[in-house]
Amino acid sequence: MRSIRGFQVVIRRDVINLVTNPVLLMSNTIFPLVLMIVLGYLTEGMYGNEVTSYQYYGLTMLIFMSLNVSITAANSFMENRIRRSNLRILYAPISRSIVYLSKMIATFIFTTACSYLLVLCIYLMFGLPSKGFTWFYFMLILTGLNLFAATLGVLMCCIFKSEEVSNQLLSIVNYSLAIVSGLFFPWDGLGRVAEWISMISPVKWVAEATFRVIYDHDLAFVLPTLGICIVGTLLLLIGCHRLFNEEDYI
Amino acid sequence: MTILEVKNLTKEFKDQKAVQGISFELYSGEILGLLGPNGAGKSTTINMLSMMMHGDDGEIYFHGKRVGNHKNLYKRQLGIVPQDIAIYEEITAEANVMFFASLYGLKGPELIQSVHRALDFVGLLDKKTRKPKTFSGGMKRRLNIACAIAHEPEILIMDEPTVGIDPQSRKHILQSIKQLKEQGTSVIYTTHYMEEVEEVATRVVIMDHGKVIANGTKEALKEELEEEKLYEIVVDQELGLLGDEWYEIEGVKQVDMEGTCIRIATVKGIENLDKIISFLIDKGVRIQNITSLSQSLEMVFLKLTGRRLRDEGE
Repeated sequence: MRSIRGFQVVIRRDVINLVTNPVLLMSNTIFPLVLMIVLGYLTEGMYGNEVTSYQYYGLTMLIFMSLNVSITAANSFMENRIRRSNLRILYAPISRSIVYLSKMIATFIFTTACSYLLVLCIYLMFGLPSKGFTWFYFMLILTGLNLFAATLGVLMCCIFKSEEVSNQLLSIVNYSLAIVSGLFFPWDGLGRVAEWISMISPVKWVAEATFRVIYDHDLAFVLPTLGICIVGTLLLLIGCHRLFNEEDYI
Repeated sequence: MTILEVKNLTKEFKDQKAVQGISFELYSGEILGLLGPNGAGKSTTINMLSMMMHGDDGEIYFHGKRVGNHKNLYKRQLGIVPQDIAIYEEITAEANVMFFASLYGLKGPELIQSVHRALDFVGLLDKKTRKPKTFSGGMKRRLNIACAIAHEPEILIMDEPTVGIDPQSRKHILQSIKQLKEQGTSVIYTTHYMEEVEEVATRVVIMDHGKVIANGTKEALKEELEEEKLYEIVVDQELGLLGDEWYEIEGVKQVDMEGTCIRIATVKGIENLDKIISFLIDKGVRIQNITSLSQSLEMVFLKLTGRRLRDEGE
């Protein structure tokens, strides 16, 4: 019982830490919104009326933001000022798993709330097709991706024991995946090799699932996407459990 | 009554033996000064005592029970004041203590009472609504202590709690430690300030190269060295190697030279300071300062480790 209460207390604290961090709050709300508007404006002439540039970048930048949840997780887990307080949490008579689980869950709660807020914004601002249930499935996809990315960020910290190294690596991975998956520009148009590379990127399939759900009301990719995210999250959690070591905090 | 017993504790890092089979006890209501030069193994020992690090060998017993089998019971009775200030800067002092105390199962009115008691104890109750980012270094250190004592632990481990603070806060902290002792809390205290150990510690464990090299009350340890007098002489130039010449002076037992500072241990009862001064003048050096070191823990430490406590600590 004490561990469960301790878990709740730590999660609440971690969520508050994230919400009150202006940099993380901006990078999960204002920054993606600005990116959507700027990219949408710059490429306005390249897109038709069926899928406008604002709609395209509204959706792809949401996926990109979901990828970057991993960076938020790394920040919440091992940022210097948090790290020292985590040390004191580890002194307490609670399970050591609470430390990494709470960071993962708090990041997931915070970023998912931000994602939902952005979904509402793009829905209202960019005139996306409205059909209630498709948005529900789209948000389900984002939720699954957020969960996976939050766990990935925590695992990277467990492996590299450093926020800086984890963030550098995650930035490279996230941007590479975003580019080859066509989140910033139509990568497929660069030729057959580019198209082939794109096919092996999981993010490409998340984007595919998103566009199918929103524009075609096709749910075929939703469950596989969610399933992969959940199974991936569980595997990453096993990794966290094996690799997390109190001594790394000393 | 023995509250904590450390038996043959060992820890190796790759090819370095950080702690080599140390054993000592912590008695109820005492302040145990854990001393040692940098690299002596103090931090590793503290990390093992606080369950942040697993020893390779040996055991820790809390009230006669192996802590490995009763980890949470032990941790519930343990308060730790880490060397680095471990608090949240962005939330109030009260919220900080409340958060950490609640991890020990405190809740409701009991939690609030404990938090206020801890803040009052460190003299921050009137500043409970302020955020630590507005505090001075000393106030942060005091809050660091409040976070460790709110759950009223039986054992308090303090790892250099007075580093880099103003004299007023240091005085307050030392007073608080003595007060905790009066209330029955057992304290393990590490510091680089020997005068603090002299002031608060009831017993001292000195570590060097991963081993306990002395263990006893301050008085007992001082008594061990009472057959010696120690002079510290500062001269204007380095003397170089003088070999056995020093030992031709009657009573001289040991000479250590560090740059222009010479430490000379001589047999108690033999008055030879005039001869030592003459010897130095004959060597053509000018004496800048002579200190006769009285019997102190610093001398015990110096004799046992060959270093001053703060030589490498600052």
